[in-house]
Amino acid sequence: MEAASIPSPVGHEGEHHHGPPIANQSSRVNSEVLGILLFIISEIMLFGAFFAAYFFIRVVSADGWPPGEGLPVAVAGINCAILLSSSVTMHWTDVSAKRDNQMAMRIGIVTTFLLGLTFLFIQINEYLHLGFTPETSASASVFFGLTGLHGAHVVIGLLLLWMSAVRIFKGKVGPDHHRGLEVPGIYWHFVDAMWIVVFTTIYIL
Amino acid sequence: MMAAKIRQPGWYRALAFSILGVLVCLGLSTGLRAAFSVDPVYDGESVLQISLLMVPLFFLGGIGCFDYWLRWASGRTVVDDHADHGAKSWRDYFKVNTDHKVIGIQYIVVSFFFMFIGGLMAMLVRAELAAPGRQFVDPNTYNGIFSVHATLLIFLFVIPVFAGIANYVIPLMIGAPDMAFPRLNALSFWMLPVAGVMMLLSFLAPGGSFASGWTAYAPLSVDAPIGQAFFTIAVQFAGASSIATALNFLVTIITMRAPGMTFFRMPLLVWANFSTSLLVVIATPFIAASQFMVILDRALGFNFFNPSGGGDVLMYQHVFWFYSHPAVYIMMLPGFGIISEVLATRARKPVFGYRMMAFSLLAIVLLGFTVWAHHMFVSGMSDWIRIPMMITTAIIAIPTGIKIFSWVATLWRGVLKMDTPMLWATGFIAMFTLGGISGVMLAMVPLDIHVSDTYFIVAHIHYVLFGGSLFTIYAGIYFWFPKMTGRMFNERLGKLHFWLTFIFFNITFAPMHLIGVQGMPRRVSDYAEQFATWNMIISLASFVVGLSTLIFLYNMIVSWRSGPKAGANPWNSLTIEWQVSSPPPIFNFDAIPSVVGGPYEYGVPGAVHAVFDEAEPEPVAVGAGASASEAD
Ligand code: HEM
Ligand SMILES: [Cu+2]
Repeated sequence: MEAASIPSPVGHEGEHHHGPPIANQSSRVNSEVLGILLFIISEIMLFGAFFAAYFFIRVVSADGWPPGEGLPVAVAGINCAILLSSSVTMHWTDVSAKRDNQMAMRIGIVTTFLLGLTFLFIQINEYLHLGFTPETSASASVFFGLTGLHGAHVVIGLLLLWMSAVRIFKGKVGPDHHRGLEVPGIYWHFVDAMWIVVFTTIYIL
Repeated sequence: MMAAKIRQPGWYRALAFSILGVLVCLGLSTGLRAAFSVDPVYDGESVLQISLLMVPLFFLGGIGCFDYWLRWASGRTVVDDHADHGAKSWRDYFKVNTDHKVIGIQYIVVSFFFMFIGGLMAMLVRAELAAPGRQFVDPNTYNGIFSVHATLLIFLFVIPVFAGIANYVIPLMIGAPDMAFPRLNALSFWMLPVAGVMMLLSFLAPGGSFASGWTAYAPLSVDAPIGQAFFTIAVQFAGASSIATALNFLVTIITMRAPGMTFFRMPLLVWANFSTSLLVVIATPFIAASQFMVILDRALGFNFFNPSGGGDVLMYQHVFWFYSHPAVYIMMLPGFGIISEVLATRARKPVFGYRMMAFSLLAIVLLGFTVWAHHMFVSGMSDWIRIPMMITTAIIAIPTGIKIFSWVATLWRGVLKMDTPMLWATGFIAMFTLGGISGVMLAMVPLDIHVSDTYFIVAHIHYVLFGGSLFTIYAGIYFWFPKMTGRMFNERLGKLHFWLTFIFFNITFAPMHLIGVQGMPRRVSDYAEQFATWNMIISLASFVVGLSTLIFLYNMIVSWRSGPKAGANPWNSLTIEWQVSSPPPIFNFDAIPSVVGGPYEYGVPGAVHAVFDEAEPEPVAVGAGASASEAD
């Protein structure tokens, strides 16, 4: 009885080919933006697990901290500044895209990319001059685990920025087509913000 | 000819890329070792571990998971012509496809494939345990078999098969033409066979398969032979797959519901997968991290779990269970959703306490993160954590209890049709209640200390995972089988399958409570003489359970090929997926339906959940709207 009150099933065996109906947009949030935000939640939890390792090894089993003869706080501090300024240039790129300022967009994305690359370069250089390796101790493992995990995220971020850059230089990004820039941008801001947390817990505390 | 085949996405290219991948890894390993002057330059284990990580990516690239994105990333204009949407023949199921219905079936079939292999291993375990002493296998092989059994059934069956069912049903249920990210959806699927095959390949590894249980505790897993690396890395692929799907579900459910489909008009299956997806997105990174740390310890000499280097062994268990307790709900909540659908439809009544059902799901999500250390009562962790964890674990039984009572109340005075899906659903309620009760018993620290690592635990996990999750899976498969295939299964065989499984499941697992309390240890291939009789009974019963599965397989295959036509809505259900043809049209709907009422208004005269506009006239230009959408 209840089912009978429903209009007869609409069905057809796909005899004619046409595209799908346009989905109803049931939320004001854009799906790509929501997707990357959820992914960032996952990423935060991944870092969270490494912070748990940090907590257990530094606090619970009290393996000596810092590993080695002190960490190069100044270098890491400079790196912090570099990464933060890359967030600023990233934001500028985003704004330029919305204003359709192609030149500013190009300069912005290249600067952001180069700043990120510099960060990575300094980080690797720091690794080579630390005087300890992951094999030295558990704290050393934690140090490399957390900074290395972050470094890997910088690499992913750079790959995404590279893709945006390619599209920008091909003139494919503008006020109506900027998700391909916005989404990597959000990720990049996350990578930068995460560095502040890593920096504080590893180098400062 | 050959070259053309290799250029196109597909199995030839996948094979070629995989071989290329192995060579690249060989070069990478020897190159790096030479650069850092490690001796010897060639190291088989190093090549193997790098290959386990990288070759799957080459394979995925070869099969065609990345083509669209790479075209996009290279700055070209990409227009989606839906060429890889929908299956025209069975061959299309072996290709990368973006249609959620195809992906759903791919998921389900692959999961069941691994279920049968994992089930076969259970049979081997029971054969070995049929009598005390050694029957067929040495203890190490035995450890390998039960480890792969559990790992396959958890990571390659229960978790993904739910994702498969949800993949098929959810976009239809909420009135969406597809998932939010169809290509990510395809990638999620293709990572699964990669993970499963990797787990199976571990049997070929020198030193045997991984053998430290599905929990892979460190430092055992750090010191184990190379077979362990297959677990460590396969779990990463399975985990990445489930995170990607979960994200996809969340975005789809949030942004693509039909007009009028408010959150409190969503069918409970949608709610259940929404909650599960939250759990996956938040918890799964923890198992990823735990396995990253293991691989770093194993391969690069890190000290995370090396006590002599200052590492913390218990930290593994904390990180692992912070995922794996929520994971038991990842393995149960989607089943809760299935049961709500089946019960309401087959009892012809609204689900009792719809809102409480939704809220209790969210409560379980929240509380699920507060109980992990109930798996660690005997681990040697700080004593003060025990009591809080005992209390939170007891509390989590409340939302679970709410659900059970609501289901029973839904059945109360309903017009029950005890057909196959309904049998599984009611069987589930009974079995899961028993499993929940043994769970709450285990939460009590003194009892848990007594039965830790005994067959009591095995009894509990099988009442919740077999009597719980698997029963819901069967309910769901039988329930949506007509929708997915357009045909009806054989009801008599379905009932036979249920009764055989139900009876012999209980004969198999109920006695385990008893011998567990008496002290028979789990995960050991031999046992004291006093348990011999029960174990023989258990083994015989378990073989019947195994055989009954073949009835299911036979029923599914034969009915799919030549069952009677099912019609659009054989169960007289109100939810949207039943209002389209069986199987549904390639793009689900001609026009998106509008939702005008709750999903379960059974017995309410004239109640409607969704209405369809008269199909619009043929769109003027092919390529209008979404079909020619260009990615930004
Ligand atoms: C009211 C609900 C539940 C409670 C209170 C509960 C409680 C517990 C406790 C305290 C343990 C630890 C036993 C030990 O190792 O000493 C345990 C183990 C386990 N539970 Fe549950 N549980 C519940 C529901 C579930 C569900 C729904 C599932 C899965 C669908 C599940 C799967 C497992 C598994 C797999 C283990 C064993 C893990 C291992 O291999 O060590 N439980 N449960
Ligand atoms: Cu638990």
